[in-house]
Amino acid sequence: METKTVNIKINNSDYQVPQGVTILDAAKRVGIDIPTLCYCEDVSKNASCAVCVVEVKNARSLIRSCVTCVNEGMEITTNSTHVREARKTNVELILANHPKDCLSCLRNQNCELQEIAAELGVKETRFVRTKKLEPLDETSPSIIRDPNKCILCGRCIAVCSEVQTVYAIGLSNRGIQSKVSTYMEKGLGNVACTNCGQCALVCPTGAIVERDETDKVFDDLLNPEKYVVVQTAPAIRVGIGEAMGLAPGSLVTGQMVAGLRRLGFDKVFDTQFTADLTIIEEGHELIRRLTHKGTLPMITSCSPGWIKFAEHFFPNSLDHLSTCKSPQQMFGSVAKTYYAAKIGVDPRKIVVVSVMPCTAKKYEARRPEMMGAFEYWKERKGWSDDDAFYDIDYVLTTRELARMFKESGVRFAALPSEEFDSPLGESTGAAVIFGATGGVMEAALRTAYEVVTGTPLPDINFMPARGMEGIKEAEVDLDGTKIKVAVAHTLKNARKLLEQIEKGESPYAFIEIMTCPGGCLGGGGQPIPTTWNIRKMRADSIYAEDAHKPLRKSHENPQVQALYKEFLKEPLGEVSHHLLHTHYKKRGLFVWQQNGEGKNADQHAEKETN
Amino acid sequence: MESTQALSRELQEIDSVITKYKGKHGELLGILEETQLLNEKKYLSEDALNHVALKTGVPLSRIYNVVTFYSFFNLKPQGKHTVIVCRGTACHTKGSKSLLGDVGLILDCSKQLEEEAGSFTTPDSQFTVSTVACFGQCALAPVVAIDGIIHSNVTTTKLQKLLNKISKGRKKS
Ligand code: SF4
Ligand code: SF4
Ligand code: SF4
Ligand code: FES
Repeated sequence: METKTVNIKINNSDYQVPQGVTILDAAKRVGIDIPTLCYCEDVSKNASCAVCVVEVKNARSLIRSCVTCVNEGMEITTNSTHVREARKTNVELILANHPKDCLSCLRNQNCELQEIAAELGVKETRFVRTKKLEPLDETSPSIIRDPNKCILCGRCIAVCSEVQTVYAIGLSNRGIQSKVSTYMEKGLGNVACTNCGQCALVCPTGAIVERDETDKVFDDLLNPEKYVVVQTAPAIRVGIGEAMGLAPGSLVTGQMVAGLRRLGFDKVFDTQFTADLTIIEEGHELIRRLTHKGTLPMITSCSPGWIKFAEHFFPNSLDHLSTCKSPQQMFGSVAKTYYAAKIGVDPRKIVVVSVMPCTAKKYEARRPEMMGAFEYWKERKGWSDDDAFYDIDYVLTTRELARMFKESGVRFAALPSEEFDSPLGESTGAAVIFGATGGVMEAALRTAYEVVTGTPLPDINFMPARGMEGIKEAEVDLDGTKIKVAVAHTLKNARKLLEQIEKGESPYAFIEIMTCPGGCLGGGGQPIPTTWNIRKMRADSIYAEDAHKPLRKSHENPQVQALYKEFLKEPLGEVSHHLLHTHYKKRGLFVWQQNGEGKNADQHAEKETN
Repeated sequence: MESTQALSRELQEIDSVITKYKGKHGELLGILEETQLLNEKKYLSEDALNHVALKTGVPLSRIYNVVTFYSFFNLKPQGKHTVIVCRGTACHTKGSKSLLGDVGLILDCSKQLEEEAGSFTTPDSQFTVSTVACFGQCALAPVVAIDGIIHSNVTTTKLQKLLNKISKGRKKS
């Protein structure tokens, strides 16, 4: 394909560049870097920071290169004194209203503002503060916003509205008072926010961050009374290396396990164990719905951001959701019942820590219905509600685990490779791929196909489910019954499939939905930056791990088989029903009216429990 | 607090406003503007905004963006009368700050003035006092608008007269 080109001059050299590209892109193509701050490829360009300015001959003022396209004959200067001074001034203006508490900021050393200031040689600001100090938004169990650190780049708003179609946040007021707001300043915990954390992933500064729970986990690790076990989600093994300074996508399963032992966890287990378990339960649920005229399509329920999205925006379609709890929650229920009994430890002393690529998992763990293990024991031992405990005690994101490793001096690169503990550390290749979009679908088909037809899938690598396309489709022949399946990631794509269902036009029997772009490997708790390139590298590692696993189908997991034999008895049975399945809540849009105004997250969790 | 009856009547009226603007250019702005006028305290209550969101499908954050961007939208109940003191540069040099202080004294609301700078309504719902960045009437500075009428070259005495005229009969608390 021939593209038209234009002739331009950059810093006095002649270049030919494609017509229609921005000055920023044109410069990049010829090896000249222009610094940027608010600009974020694929996410947003609202050209608010003016850090990317350049001089253009005959232009009346400096030009923002991130939004201005090249023209025939354009003469551009990217590094004159005038340009450099202007950039510095613009960064200083931003810093004038910035708290500058880098030492106590979660984004210290991973902050685009800090980086640009260093790059441009800005050490202090000549300007005085012009904005009022704003209170933090601490209403969400997952995410904390500090408006004072916001540089108004608009990325979070773009992601929330364009990628996720949630619209939980928007710009409010104008001029000097402009800020990122929730409706009526109610706070993220009191509006229809899915806690997906994609906003935190794109924020250049510490203005949106995960709720950090590392201190509480350190405390429990030191408490001799507690038996502290950890589970790691599939996507952590392809993310934590990156957060520890290795190349993006590094597969570090063995070192991660070794590192967690060094932190002092009593047992290092794997969420993949319960991912395999999820497949057994969900696979049977699908078969039951297919054979008993149940509600179809059935939609996966592993992704808590998606669940909350459905509860807010599609409250009348909740019957389509699989009743299976997510692997994280199944793990908590199993660890505090089956495993507690097996090792003879009082479940009230067991602390389950999850390491997740996800901020929404923090919210999920605090849903009042996620106390399956407590209910189980209450019935059997008559414990009172004062003893109540959640199935999952703490959820750490990949970024928080990296922080713990660093604080404890765990030298990641030097760690040996170690194995997960038994029995809740055993998993198959089907469980690994839960970390990528399409993985749950592929894993479910590997098992469901075999259960129904009695023969394995013709090709265990179910390729139509793989890749980064927004919505993927396939047809599967289950012993003469042809079913259509679909896989979607991002809530924007989820919305399309749900609208189709509500119109009665959905051709599918089974749908996988993941909240985050690329699936969990692109989750809101993953290392920053997470770009499409990096997502692909993480996905490659996930599928490589699957290919190398000796067992690749969930129903072949020997420890899951033992769990059924010794404890659960059968898929969808009585015990499963109580421990592994859940129900959903019609939330609608006006959440605060149900929550009560101004309550913080913990308070309203309490209220709902009562 | 509005009575539930008054509220449901208001919501019904909003419904007909929404139907009227359906598909028209500037739909949301028009709806919000008329919705505000419908309210006897000339403001957009949260219930009203929720209703607009529900019926139009416009996201709440977008509605909040619009109603906080344009200064003619009020999110708090408005008093019967409005007093707007210009705080632009010209008015400032001509003493608009002390005029604002005078408003506080005359209307007996100095404390509120200090705490809720920007805009507030006196407890008896008679006056809403606010400031603007500039009226564009700098030649006539200092300028104060009372119930939409712009008064120029305002002095303390003039202000006192104007306000007393309106609040005649208003009980001193
Ligand atoms: S956001 Fe960046 S510059 Fe601001 S305090 Fe945090 S690390 Fe420092
Ligand atoms: S967590 Fe997700 S839904 Fe909530 S504000 Fe951020 S991007 Fe929007
Ligand atoms: S919160 Fe972060 S992403 Fe959002 S506008 Fe502010 S700086 Fe940008
Ligand atoms: S990067 Fe171009 S204006 Fe911010």
